[in-house]
Amino acid sequence: MQVTSEILERAIEQLTKLPGTGRKSAQRIAMHLLKQSDDYVFKLAQALIDLKESVDHCSICHNISDQNPCSICSSVKRHTGIICVVEDPKDVYTIEKTGEFNGRYHVLGGTISPLDNIGPDDIRIKELMDRVHDEEEEVNEIILALNPDSEGEATSYYINKLLKHHEIDVTRIAYGIPMGTELEYIDEATLSRAFSSRNSF
Amino acid sequence: MHITWLKLQNFRNHTEREVEWAPHLNVVTGPNGAGKTNLIDAIHYLCMSRSFVANSDRYVVHEDQSFFILKGLFHGSIRSEFEVTCSYSKGEGKKVFVNDSPLERLSDLIGRVPVVVLCPEDRKLTSEGPSERRSFIDAFISQINPPYLQDLIDYRKVRRQRNNLLQEFQYDRSTKEAYLEPWDQQLVDAGARIVAKRNQVIKQFQEYLHQQYDMITGLKHRTFLEYQTFCEPSSDPETIRDRYWDKLEEYREKELEREVTIVGPHRDEIVFYLDDKELRRYGSQGQHRLFALALKLAQLFYFTDELDDLPIFLLDDVFGDLDPHKIEVLLNALIDHAGQIFVTSANPIPFEEYVNFDGEKNRRWQIEEGVLERRD
Ligand SMILES: [Zn+2]
Repeated sequence: MQVTSEILERAIEQLTKLPGTGRKSAQRIAMHLLKQSDDYVFKLAQALIDLKESVDHCSICHNISDQNPCSICSSVKRHTGIICVVEDPKDVYTIEKTGEFNGRYHVLGGTISPLDNIGPDDIRIKELMDRVHDEEEEVNEIILALNPDSEGEATSYYINKLLKHHEIDVTRIAYGIPMGTELEYIDEATLSRAFSSRNSF
Repeated sequence: MHITWLKLQNFRNHTEREVEWAPHLNVVTGPNGAGKTNLIDAIHYLCMSRSFVANSDRYVVHEDQSFFILKGLFHGSIRSEFEVTCSYSKGEGKKVFVNDSPLERLSDLIGRVPVVVLCPEDRKLTSEGPSERRSFIDAFISQINPPYLQDLIDYRKVRRQRNNLLQEFQYDRSTKEAYLEPWDQQLVDAGARIVAKRNQVIKQFQEYLHQQYDMITGLKHRTFLEYQTFCEPSSDPETIRDRYWDKLEEYREKELEREVTIVGPHRDEIVFYLDDKELRRYGSQGQHRLFALALKLAQLFYFTDELDDLPIFLLDDVFGDLDPHKIEVLLNALIDHAGQIFVTSANPIPFEEYVNFDGEKNRRWQIEEGVLERRD
């Protein structure tokens, strides 16, 4: 194929890196953007730059947030003693939609997976333990809400072990959830049921 | 369970074909290479999401094409009509749809339409290494017990994770052992259930096998399957769990040294015996063939007893090398089976002495030079 525009080609290459976007879709998106008004494309570009430059991480729970601490961690209406441990920010979003949980979160940023070279030190387990030891947080319950796959299980097991000699209730959400299903695909009703019937690890 | 309609597109030498099958017996005859096996392999794909002949989906695509599509309409006595689609393309891989909605995982297909295959490749089962027999028992149990398949998938995943950790050189000994623990836990959980289930099914299967071998040969040889695993087998997962932990402890040093998971059902063996002689070592050619035949017939009857819906039975090119007496025994067994049967053969088989092809229950087909025709 003869490349007639290096600039177009570069845009396509970048778009191909987006999740779930093959070369064909990338071409379609690039051609679509070319046809749009300048105003729209500039707004899109600005939104992307803001996303990277201005979105911050909450230094307490490590969720994505515009402010630090995030609105959940700084809310006086939330219980401070209960921490719900999740894999990534989209899980916080999913659980928040159920309205079942009134504590705070801890976003690990991944799960243990030797195949991907992710060990316990590569996710925010140490940060979780720091919160547990922080007397101001007065943590008395940890809810493990990780995906029911083998990596999620291994991570839950590892954290539970670390918490063993602390005066803390460790529970995990009960899965009335089909095996192998990712948390984000579960409907709210099921997830909300799973939350209210959480049991001891 | 039976298939009423099958559509093939670019599936080996079938560029475009639709077939309406009879509910009981379907016999397809034709010269070698005409595409008989491919027809029933397509049915196998719709039951198990893979070929029973080829090792890779790539080999199954028509030589000039980059994709194949298979569609089948199934009827069950419990479940009503549903359509299964299996597509494969070089770019997108394999996908399975049930009534047009995609299955998240290919393994979700298995068990919907139980299937038993008797084919020339069965000789590997009795003559080759343990992995052949593990595959057989795994495909066998997965079809009747979906949680078993999930355990197999989990176990394989956990073992890969665990092996990777064992190979990791940057951790010191105690760190490594602490990191191994969550994987050991899951290895034992899934592994113990696998061992218990294999033990239980093999135990129940013995009598079925013995009956079939007896019926085919008429000889009073006693068949026996010996299940060998890393500990004394049991059908109780809790008992296995305890023994598993002990073994894991015992092999800890060795596993750390060799950097690989040694203890577990991935190294299981099922030894076939005729009387007290190991078939693989001491059996004659004829005994091998008859043992394999008995295994598959026994599987058919086991499924029939265990499942709500009757399995589909595929017999690929197996009549050619049987003597007339064995053919008669096999035909009688087939006719007794109320479920749907597919038979391929290079030469006509004397079915008409046993079944009636006049009605709608049974059909004969001839395939030659790309043309498939009904013979009745
Ligand atoms: Zn926060």
